Amino acid sequence: MSKQPVHPVHRPLSRREMLGICKCGFGSLAMVSLFGSLLPSCAGVADGKDQLLRELGGGAIPPGFVPKAKNIIFLYMDGGVSQVDSFDPKPRLARENGEDPARKFKMDATQFGDVGKILKSPWEFHRYGESGMEISTLFPHIASCADDLALIRSMVSNFPEHTNANYFLHTGSGLQGRPSMGAWVNYGLGSENSNLPGYVVLDGGLIPPGGLDNFKNGFLPAAYQASLLRAGAEPLANIRPADSLAGIQEEKLAFLRERDGHLLKTLDGADAIEAAISNYELAYKMQSSIPELTEFKTESEATKKLYGLDSSDPNTRNYAAQCLLARRLVERGVRFIELTCPDIGGGADRWDQHSNLKAGHERNAHAVDQPIAGLLKDLKMRGLLDETLVVWSGEFGRTPFAQGTDGRDHNPSAFSMWMAGAGIKGGTIYGATDDYGYRVVDKPVTIHDLHATMLHLMGMDHKQLTFRFGGRDFRLTDVHGNVVKEILA
Amino acid sequence: MSLRILPAKMGVVFGSLVLGLFVFSRCGTDSLADLPDTVDFNYHVRPILVQKCYLCHGPDESSRKANLRLDTYEGATALLKDGGKAIDPGHAASSLLVERIYHKDPDMVMPTPESNLRLTEREMALLEKWIDQGAKYDPHWAFLPPVATPELAGFNGNTIDYFINKELEREKLPAAPKASRESLLRRAAFLLTGLPPTQEEQAAFLAATNDDAYPKMVDAYLASPRFGERWARHWMDIARYAETRGHEFDYTIQGAWRYRDYLVRAFNQDIPYDQLLKEQLAGDLLPEPRKGPGNQNESIVGTVFLTMTEGTHSPVDIRKDEADRIDNMIDVTGKAFLGLTISCARCHDHKFDPISAKDYYSFYGVMEGTRFAHHAVNQEAKKAALDRLVQVQDSIRQWALVQLKQQPAYSEIIPAKTNTDPVAGEEGTLVLGDFSRADLDGWKSDGQAFGQSTTLGDPVFSAAKKWIGIREGMASSRKIAVGLYGALRSPDFIVSTNFIQVEAAGRQSSIRIVIDNFQLIQQPIYGNLEQQVSSTDFTPYLFDVSAWKGHKAYIEVLPGTYENHVFIQRPDSYVDLRYAIAFNTTKTVPEKNRRIVQELNKRIKSQLGSTPNARLSQLLDEELALRAQVKDSIQFIYGVTDGFGKNSPVFVRGNHLDLSKEPATRQFLPAVSKTNVRLDVPGSGRLELANAILEKNNPLAARVMVNRIWHYLFGKGIVETVDNFGLQGKLPTHPALLDHLALEFQKNGYSIKYMVRKIMLSETFQRAVKPEAAAREKDPSNTWLSHFPLLRLEGEAIRDALLAVSGRLDTTMYGPPVLQHITSFMNGRGKPAQSGPLDGAGRRSIYLEVRRNFLDPMLSSFDRPLPFTSFGKRDVTNVPSQSLILLNDPFVVQEAARLQARMQKAMPGSAAEKIQWLYTTCFARAATTDEVEKGTAFVNQLTTTYKRTSVSGNAVALAWKDYIHSLFNLKEFIYLN
Repeated sequence: MSKQPVHPVHRPLSRREMLGICKCGFGSLAMVSLFGSLLPSCAGVADGKDQLLRELGGGAIPPGFVPKAKNIIFLYMDGGVSQVDSFDPKPRLARENGEDPARKFKMDATQFGDVGKILKSPWEFHRYGESGMEISTLFPHIASCADDLALIRSMVSNFPEHTNANYFLHTGSGLQGRPSMGAWVNYGLGSENSNLPGYVVLDGGLIPPGGLDNFKNGFLPAAYQASLLRAGAEPLANIRPADSLAGIQEEKLAFLRERDGHLLKTLDGADAIEAAISNYELAYKMQSSIPELTEFKTESEATKKLYGLDSSDPNTRNYAAQCLLARRLVERGVRFIELTCPDIGGGADRWDQHSNLKAGHERNAHAVDQPIAGLLKDLKMRGLLDETLVVWSGEFGRTPFAQGTDGRDHNPSAFSMWMAGAGIKGGTIYGATDDYGYRVVDKPVTIHDLHATMLHLMGMDHKQLTFRFGGRDFRLTDVHGNVVKEILA
Repeated sequence: MSLRILPAKMGVVFGSLVLGLFVFSRCGTDSLADLPDTVDFNYHVRPILVQKCYLCHGPDESSRKANLRLDTYEGATALLKDGGKAIDPGHAASSLLVERIYHKDPDMVMPTPESNLRLTEREMALLEKWIDQGAKYDPHWAFLPPVATPELAGFNGNTIDYFINKELEREKLPAAPKASRESLLRRAAFLLTGLPPTQEEQAAFLAATNDDAYPKMVDAYLASPRFGERWARHWMDIARYAETRGHEFDYTIQGAWRYRDYLVRAFNQDIPYDQLLKEQLAGDLLPEPRKGPGNQNESIVGTVFLTMTEGTHSPVDIRKDEADRIDNMIDVTGKAFLGLTISCARCHDHKFDPISAKDYYSFYGVMEGTRFAHHAVNQEAKKAALDRLVQVQDSIRQWALVQLKQQPAYSEIIPAKTNTDPVAGEEGTLVLGDFSRADLDGWKSDGQAFGQSTTLGDPVFSAAKKWIGIREGMASSRKIAVGLYGALRSPDFIVSTNFIQVEAAGRQSSIRIVIDNFQLIQQPIYGNLEQQVSSTDFTPYLFDVSAWKGHKAYIEVLPGTYENHVFIQRPDSYVDLRYAIAFNTTKTVPEKNRRIVQELNKRIKSQLGSTPNARLSQLLDEELALRAQVKDSIQFIYGVTDGFGKNSPVFVRGNHLDLSKEPATRQFLPAVSKTNVRLDVPGSGRLELANAILEKNNPLAARVMVNRIWHYLFGKGIVETVDNFGLQGKLPTHPALLDHLALEFQKNGYSIKYMVRKIMLSETFQRAVKPEAAAREKDPSNTWLSHFPLLRLEGEAIRDALLAVSGRLDTTMYGPPVLQHITSFMNGRGKPAQSGPLDGAGRRSIYLEVRRNFLDPMLSSFDRPLPFTSFGKRDVTNVPSQSLILLNDPFVVQEAARLQARMQKAMPGSAAEKIQWLYTTCFARAATTDEVEKGTAFVNQLTTTYKRTSVSGNAVALAWKDYIHSLFNLKEFIYLN
């Protein structure tokens, strides 16, 4: 298949027309559907068939709308980065360091309840780029891309606990079992590549609290769930042929093709069987395409260096490999790619520094900073940043006061995130928090707003992207969400 | 994408290319010529109104536009503000609805262009004709009682065929011939037991010449213990069955597997469906619980159904957490038993169904009055001994009371007054429970340990049986004997003070303050709400509850402790309780009776104490012996118990912080039951709810279940949306048949096996998979069942079949789950310390662990649903991970090697004989000549390849293993053809 979408998105096609376009009979049509490009029709296997009828009038894509982004790379900062130590400078914290926060502002219950004193940031902030965006010394490399970022300092979440907040960030609901945004994107748009899954999670080592449900298809068909990919000899489950000898598997597949073809004939053709047969052809191809993907033989030394693959820090090398892999997936048309954080060990559990903020944040930042900047620069050089949306966010922020003496607790009332790339107005700062960085005071952006904006950039109206399940038309954004227009180019 | 924007004119929607099902609309093509003579409201008109009009003109008042509702006749025909009527019955020409749907002006046309909804020409014509014919409204078909078909009286044969054949004739569709005996056997074996037919079963059935061979074969499978193992799994999809709670640490749901075993037994014993329904909603409340193995209380195990919710350990907003759990319980209850999406009415009236937000909060009250509780399932087993023990203890007590009656202080303490509300003591102390008197002060004693009264007045004897005193008043888990399970729970109260203090003594016991029904009590937020009682001296246990002021709470006292949210009761665990009080700064302790008892005891010691007579001595001996008998190991399930009945306010727009003034009186859905069944009893109302669902005139319970059974046998229900019989659900393809089956089901005692058998003995069920050419052409989606559908096996059946043919299958039933095999791709918090075996120890899939955060990759790939809500119908998808599993997963390869070894022993003969043996083993049929030839050639070819290389091992054996592995990968292995 070419990198072009396998079918034009807006023009209604009959089944016959589609067969004509594919020019290779029904088998390959069904094959295309394996990764979801036609799977909206597969919604019929749930009770979503009415969906088709409802959407005969247009679906989620407004007529004539040209999507800005083709792909999304979601850099998930597991555990919650402290906004006042990274992207939201608060000089007042330094002035009032050590004072009792209860005398300064009204505090919400925190998860650990161990409220300490106001804690100044251990890092300095400097201005970067033409935009003069203030970023802390935690992220010197990302700071060098400041003019590409649209920084939102006014994010809010609904949950101060990891799992609910993770489900919320990934699925738009704090409960378990709902479809992840990557699943929604693929449901809405289909895959651009028939040899690869449309939704890939690059496992850097840490699965977020809440587990794989963060990446599942929920009530959408199973084809929309994420495939977990990682570095190493077996990048995807069962991708290595079980056969000890080269050639044996080909012999088996030839036998299967012949015998299954015979079955098909005795049934006078049966679509399900035919589709299942095609499925094997695809699985076979994936066995070679996926290992090829995860090997970096064709990458130049300069590129590898840009990402930090030569770093002395093994965590940086780990994340650099994931970032480079993300770019390679973008090149191959994978719609939605999420990167999880490396397990940096040493008592620092993700970005979740309830204690030992300085050491923990520093080591986490060191792992991801250069690879992320490398990714942004590499995408830009290759002209891919124009069609790729890069999203950097945790599930919530952290408190401006200490937990104990040197940590920070969870804070869903304010955090910072940024987007870069396709359709994004670089160098933008949006929204603001109070003097302590504790609460949003200007232009709050909810998780639903974030989702609406991401879908918008992908060319979809979040209100129209629905799936009927259990008698209700579900949306990624529930009944909420507004596109944050001010950060759009 | 493009399939979603197919031209409407085609009138045909691609159901699923992957499934290969094409769904025709009921009315076939879209031409206007074949409009029905009589337009039926339920079948033709309502679907249009629901899909295209109700969002703005339906039952939900909050989103209604122009004050016009089209869901009722009155609403649709009312005089509009600007004059005229939306619907003028009998006069389409003067109906504004008709004018607006045909309007050319985008500002006027309905539905509005922004809605993205559009009426087809046919739909417009139907509406017009219906109005001209009088615009008759009928109640939603599913809410009408089932109607018997009178013509059946003279029908000879399986009544199912009457209905199916009638439609085939009407549609002029030729029926497929009867399937081959091999197909029928394999179909029956998999659909009834989830396993392939054994060679013995094949030999018996394929050789049989008697007419009743087929029904006998069906009966044999119905009687097999494997039947329950397959059909229990169907129900587990509906019950969102899981053995852990998910979220951050994926805590174990204690004893969940006992519910799985309960289901296996229930389906095997063909326990009537109405009984199962009652047990799952209210098994703890049945006056005569059903007895299970070892005489355990079987009914109570059913209540685990309600508690299979997910759970998180430290929600900051605990009320919202409770609302989410309850919502899940309502959602699953509604879908499972009523086929209704009640939880759609959580934030507003249902947009389509006649279910109001008030109805939702009526259910909410029922669930809120229900408390999560452990139950010791084996308690019924020793009930006889326990009853006798209580009797003996009563006699001893009576003996002592007779002696005591002479004493003036006696009347002051026995009997004491009953009191249920917290009363203000001196200095502002609230007494939440005072056990110095004889009664339990309105607290609920669940299980057996605490009995029904305090220990006040219980006589105490020395080792030499000398009467040395009476016990003071205490609630005590060892009142009857140490080693019994029970819980003592206070009524609900609203936390209004900074502190709660409970004075208790005991061993390895616990006191918990349960806020808003929240159970996963632990650090960091809730850790101080649970304390262990570990001193045998009375100690005041102080709880700081200042953070929970204004929250609903109850106190729970248990003779055991929680370790990682698993309840453990040790043999010598016990707890004695004097009182529970709430206060802010100073406190007063209720202890009046204690002084009187001490006074009495002085007198007993000095005056009354005597050596017992022979009868008393005998009773004391018997008591001692019985106490040892009733004590045993205690096995727990996590079910429910009744709290105190309560009507919940409506949460305005679903917001738990915005409550209506008027509570929603607990009652059954008025739209479904015309008899206005009230549920606002002193308890939760769950038993009343179960009875209301089963009430004979309630049309849903039986219809929904027979439709599920049909679905499990044909892969598609008569109503395709098996969990949704509401207005957005699909219409039944064969409504009269559905009614007939529902009535039959009721008439035959809700017997599931009866219904399965009846369906399987029909001609319809026994047809071949391959359709006649004309039928394929005219009815490609097989709506009218001219042939049997091509079904793919579920993940469980595929895995179990691999084990069965390889000879590895271990048919051991029941028991704790086999640990989940953890692959290198399964990571995250709560990861089990130990991985289970690759082949699940050869056990059937139903006995494998179901961990919410570590679901089995093979079963998930083959569409086992995520356990978060009811899935009466599984997806059947076709994804590459399925092929990759069958091609490369070490489990599949291992079973191929096992089958090769098995074959070598069982069939040492020629290649042709081996292939024949393998085909009967794997496909339950003989191999054709072609298959033998091609197979032999393939094995030879593989052997040559192996011989050419220096691979270690026997080249011939390796070749056969690869051949077998290929057979596993044939489509015939995973499809019922």
